[in-house]
Amino acid sequence: MDVKSKQQISSYIIASQEEEIKRIALDLHEGVGQNLYSILTGLQVVESGTKEPEMKNYLHEMTLLIEKTIQEIRLLSVELHPPALTTLGLLPAMKSYCKLYTSTFGILVDFKSTGEEKPIPERNRIAVFRVCQEAFMNIAKYADTSNVKINFVWKEDELTISIRDYGKGFQPEDFEQHSLGLEAMKERMLLTGGRCTISSKIGEGTQIKLSLPLMGD
Amino acid sequence: MTELRELPGVMEVCDNLKTTAGCEFVGLAIQNETGPDVRWHYATGNLNDKYKRITVRFGKGIAGKIISSGSTMMITDFPHQINGKITDYPIMLAEKLVSSYAVPLFFHDVPKGVLLVGKREPYVFSEEVQQKVNDSALILEQLLKEHI
Repeated sequence: MDVKSKQQISSYIIASQEEEIKRIALDLHEGVGQNLYSILTGLQVVESGTKEPEMKNYLHEMTLLIEKTIQEIRLLSVELHPPALTTLGLLPAMKSYCKLYTSTFGILVDFKSTGEEKPIPERNRIAVFRVCQEAFMNIAKYADTSNVKINFVWKEDELTISIRDYGKGFQPEDFEQHSLGLEAMKERMLLTGGRCTISSKIGEGTQIKLSLPLMGD
Repeated sequence: MTELRELPGVMEVCDNLKTTAGCEFVGLAIQNETGPDVRWHYATGNLNDKYKRITVRFGKGIAGKIISSGSTMMITDFPHQINGKITDYPIMLAEKLVSSYAVPLFFHDVPKGVLLVGKREPYVFSEEVQQKVNDSALILEQLLKEHI
């Protein structure tokens, strides 16, 4: 089997998985989430009509529990497939992800974008988003840092993204520890026709550079 | 919500627990007055201020699981033998903790807070240490009950 066929198969498998992830995310948000919201509204009506303090307190605790569950379902759904990625585009989806990332790991994200955002086919949007997500997860797991910088540069024919942390970094020989994830990031960018380069220095942090061609799709 | 760390006694209980339990980190997470969010209000022995920005996910990680289940949790050698992904345990990652023991704080019989002690090495928390954490949790419940 030649390289092109292998790449086509990889693209097909990834696209199928993303389709399934998107379906589950939508079902959680529109199905389970909406039902829970109806239950919440019903409980609030019952609570407001209840005079007995003990029962009122109990109902209030139940509404809080459902609120927490709705919030978790929403977060799960967004984690699986951010709706902004389909409806609003890569930049809004990444901005929203960075907010969630800070509130999850306490790591501050300095987000910059220069140039005008250009339309990207959904398949490539998802690929870039997933690669950025993987990079951010690696930072939370290994980098031991409180700050990350992400910089989008939009040119006429290319988008470049740089993700920089100022954490502990790693040596090439430690590469093996992270290699599968890092190789997957490179491969995924290659499938979009783009590139992913990773550089790291002990004590100085890690930089990941992504580039995506914007013409010819 | 009143800054809980400013309430008399809260810092003292946590600081004392860190010393008497021989731990490197103690954290106190409480559910916000309005809405379902839970966040870390006070920590001692912290390496950075990430804990202040972390919002605990319901049912996820240590604090989230404790608040959703109302039971205690011990981790002896993170990230080995954990349920779920490493990234489901943000406070362990943020504070580079390797072991922890955490208990729920109950208000009106509902778990709404977590008291967590941790070390940056593999460790099994003895029954004696567990009892110290449980006792501190009871004191904190009394100190905080007017404010939750």
